[in-house]
Amino acid sequence: MTQLRRNVKLDQLICWWSIPIFYQFFGLIFGYLTKIMGPPIPGPNLTLEGITAFTLGNARHMQIGIVLLAISLGFASMGTGVIVVQMRRMSGPGPVLAYCYLACGAAAALPGCLFCGLLFAVSVFRPDRDPQIIAVLYEMGFVGFIGCLGCFATQYLVFALAIFLDRRAIFPKWLGYMTLWNLVTELIAAPVWIFRSGPYAWNGLISFYLGVLIFVVWIVCLITWLKKAIKNQPLEEFDPACTGTLLV
Amino acid sequence: MNLTDQRICLWLVPVFGVVLLSAFGVAGVIPPPSPTLTAQEVANFYRDNLGQIRAGMITVNLCGLMFIPFYMVIVVQMQRMAHPSRAFAYSYLSAAASAGSIFLFADLAWSIAAFRPERDPQLIMMLNDLAWMAFISPVGFIMAQNTFLALGIYMDARRQPVFPRWVAHFNILTALLMAPGAFALMFREGPLAWDGSLAFGLHLGTYAVYIAVMFFVVRSALNHQAREAGAAA
Amino acid sequence: MTTATTLPARHLPGDPSIWVFVLGDMVIFGCYFAAYLFDRGHDHELFLQSQQHLSQGVGAINTLILLTSSLFVALSTQAARAADLRAASGLLTLGGACGAGFVLLKSYEWYSKLSAGLTISSNAFFMHYYMMTSVHFFHVLLGLVILVILRRELQGSAPPRMQLLETGATYWHMVDFLWIIIFALVYLMR
Repeated sequence: MTQLRRNVKLDQLICWWSIPIFYQFFGLIFGYLTKIMGPPIPGPNLTLEGITAFTLGNARHMQIGIVLLAISLGFASMGTGVIVVQMRRMSGPGPVLAYCYLACGAAAALPGCLFCGLLFAVSVFRPDRDPQIIAVLYEMGFVGFIGCLGCFATQYLVFALAIFLDRRAIFPKWLGYMTLWNLVTELIAAPVWIFRSGPYAWNGLISFYLGVLIFVVWIVCLITWLKKAIKNQPLEEFDPACTGTLLV
Repeated sequence: MNLTDQRICLWLVPVFGVVLLSAFGVAGVIPPPSPTLTAQEVANFYRDNLGQIRAGMITVNLCGLMFIPFYMVIVVQMQRMAHPSRAFAYSYLSAAASAGSIFLFADLAWSIAAFRPERDPQLIMMLNDLAWMAFISPVGFIMAQNTFLALGIYMDARRQPVFPRWVAHFNILTALLMAPGAFALMFREGPLAWDGSLAFGLHLGTYAVYIAVMFFVVRSALNHQAREAGAAA
Repeated sequence: MTTATTLPARHLPGDPSIWVFVLGDMVIFGCYFAAYLFDRGHDHELFLQSQQHLSQGVGAINTLILLTSSLFVALSTQAARAADLRAASGLLTLGGACGAGFVLLKSYEWYSKLSAGLTISSNAFFMHYYMMTSVHFFHVLLGLVILVILRRELQGSAPPRMQLLETGATYWHMVDFLWIIIFALVYLMR
């Protein structure tokens, strides 16, 4: 029994650790290797030469980055898993919002992340590919990546809602408000489907840079307060028979 | 028992149902452009309706997963059923997530097609093909959802079942009626093309009726749940 | 007579986290305003010309509508503190009705601009105009949902939680304040 009590939060902590680790990978993949998220992020008006330089000119790094993404993206599910466990502890909202969060997280993986990686992988797969085709893949990858809104919009909405309805304050209320800002970043990213330059293009100051800034602040807060929520979870909530059922 | 969260998720359906339907209407894809259009005609369609297509498709993008909460209410209701395990409920959840994913993917394809209207018409046509196929054809997910729900209802051993038996029959029937959508991958004309009376009309018409009926069914189940909890209290 | 739960006379209104939200939201809107002013500085002539297409009258009426709604919401909060829940509820309804009026008038304004062929991609001015007013519009819609929640709180059987009422009211006042800045920058500033 003492053994159980000592390790009772281990599974959640392993999942929690996956979040900062995954985002390190994310930064390595999108910021350093593939340079898809810059710095600075290339734009819709890049010339054919520029696009070729960005893709084929960086082919080896880009491929390594996307191979890493193909391996590591699945592990992002662990973050979803532990957040769902904490959401299930909330009193007020039942499990439905936790399941929404789970479903949205699952749905987001392809359109919201991997699709972009695949398109770039295809673009650098053959060094003799027609640059016009590479340009189309470049555009599809970028606009589809920055412009994928709905999965995150719904996910942030249900997360904020759960926090507001939660009478046990598993997460602080201000995190709910910050989540609403994240929701708004999906709104301000919507115009990337229209503009090829300016603050609302996919490389724009507002649609991209402000959006990323708000997201980074949010994820840091989420990671920190998720750890606190796990730490503060009373041992009485864990079923001694180790069934995984919550005794809230 | 506080059912506020489930009720909010339920009411997202009429609100976003109207929004999504309007968005598709504004985009000018009800009825859809025919698969038999030439590349130039497709490019012209995007060029001439650019603003509306973008407005519609961005809205669909933002609101594309707003039915997930409703499906999750059904998952929660399935868990109230007297089953030996939660297998059907979790299967339903998984299928719903996959369905959401492919729906967003279709929207991305449409939006990408509308991003640069001066592109080579062959490319716009290819993206348009991809979008319509991704939208109309993957009927397996909603068919699977309906089947899991029907099985769950048939096997619900509660004295007062969560959903009445006719809902199970209804789910099986609608799943079958939506099946023709898959054939849009094969046909460019006729009732099984993506603009055809079966693959488009019957498939999506059935879906619309399905959602409307299930809204009332789930609302009723929530009311029963509230009464049960009230009686138990 | 049912009374609202009381709070100390001098206190920060509402749940403290709403102020995190308000300040943060204002900073975020500040970025939109900064982007607008930056682009405006680059092409002053274009912005002045495009601005002519907006009706200052419509903008002014919308401003008046939101100011009035804020007044009603503030009076409602006051009435709730004084335990006059019927008045509080009625005033909140009036505030919400004004908010709904704003939504209708803004929709009409967009419709008339779109019909005149002035879309979000017409030029940089209209890009900013549509973006800022859209994000603000989303905030107004959210605000209306909040007002409905507040009204239900007032009409419930339990004594209404003052902190919740103040939090919701603070959000609504923020929405009003943001509009005033949008009105000044986009409609008025020459």
